[in-house]
Amino acid sequence: MSHEFVENQAVSRRRVIRRAAVAAGGALAAATAVGAADRLHAQPSNEKDAKALNLLLLIDRAEVAFYTAALENAGLSGELEEFAQTALGHEREHVSYLEGALGSAAEDEPEYDFGESTSDVDAFARSAAKLEDIAVGAYNGQATNVSPGAFLAAARIVSVEARHAAWIRSIRDGDPAPNAVDTAYDEARVRRELRELGVPA
Amino acid sequence: MSLSDLPDLAALDKDGALEEAHAGLTRAGFIVGSAIGGLALWLPSSASAAKIPASDQDVLNYALVLEYLQAAFYTESERAGALKGKAKKAATTVGAVERAHVKAFRDLLGKKAVGKPQFDFQGVTEDQKKFLKTAVAFEDLAVAAYKGQARRLKSKAVLTSALGIHTVEARHAAWMRYLNGNVPATAAFDRPLTRPAINKIVASTNFIVQKKPKTSSRRKPRYTG
Repeated sequence: MSHEFVENQAVSRRRVIRRAAVAAGGALAAATAVGAADRLHAQPSNEKDAKALNLLLLIDRAEVAFYTAALENAGLSGELEEFAQTALGHEREHVSYLEGALGSAAEDEPEYDFGESTSDVDAFARSAAKLEDIAVGAYNGQATNVSPGAFLAAARIVSVEARHAAWIRSIRDGDPAPNAVDTAYDEARVRRELRELGVPA
Repeated sequence: MSLSDLPDLAALDKDGALEEAHAGLTRAGFIVGSAIGGLALWLPSSASAAKIPASDQDVLNYALVLEYLQAAFYTESERAGALKGKAKKAATTVGAVERAHVKAFRDLLGKKAVGKPQFDFQGVTEDQKKFLKTAVAFEDLAVAAYKGQARRLKSKAVLTSALGIHTVEARHAAWMRYLNGNVPATAAFDRPLTRPAINKIVASTNFIVQKKPKTSSRRKPRYTG
């Protein structure tokens, strides 16, 4: 069992409540500080869409490669295998959507070095949870940068990434939803965390 | 910055929740500075609600009703005492989060916040199997509802917060599905639902009662959330 899961389980009910309340209150109330200057861009550009969607494509492609390699090499069985198979199918569909939306603007796929994450069961479970969390944070972070059509698709994808994140934690007896509000990751954070998992970003 | 630097906190903090939260955070060893910063942002005021576009307030009030429903459901399930093991732990954790969502929306909306309806959960909070089945339905419903409403939000900051709650509801949905023996993620793309569709589903449960239940009800009075 990873440190992350142990730590999550150790969080007392009281602390969870406090943390949840403050997180929800803080994130929502932050909205009140910005007011009228804070309207969404009425006309996101194609260029902006392409930048955002390429970042999301980077993640979804990495997820496809990660689950594919893990299913081949990590000796997954039972619930973990079912999870990896199902998530892989979903991520492939996300990649298809993003590649279709980007067309010729889609960037090249990098080479990965997932290390033991795709050959060791415990390392796989840890990295899968992290990768899915990155996807949730990235989609939430990029949602306000894309045009309405892409926004709708992103909203339909991001909750599936969140379901994956909770699913793998449920299997490993972790805390599937540790916060009251999921944080939106900016591009720099997404790239940094992807690099930590062996995805050149 | 310390708690005493905040303007007239006691007057605003009628139920003592902020003070209590502050004490809890300090005890838990959080970095006090950031905790206070969060609370300062959290302070409700009618001026803050006025800065949110009216159409966004409408969406937030709609979400608030769903959060009231969920918070009451988990709170009542916890108190009913029929849950065991992982289901009990999940209800406790998720209930705390849904109550936090309610509080955050109410604070954000201030005087514009809609009131809490009365609920009658028809006994589903008193049986673990029924509880899990209902929890799955509620969480999937919340995911679809947030997704359906998100594009209507005009304020970027409100939208970012709503999306962050939307994915937490999705995590809850997957968690409850797992505990109920359902596949946590059944498709690559989750579907949004419109308000009429959501309203129809909620109405079909009869969980929201418009009038106070008669005291002659055959059931004992319930906690109404």
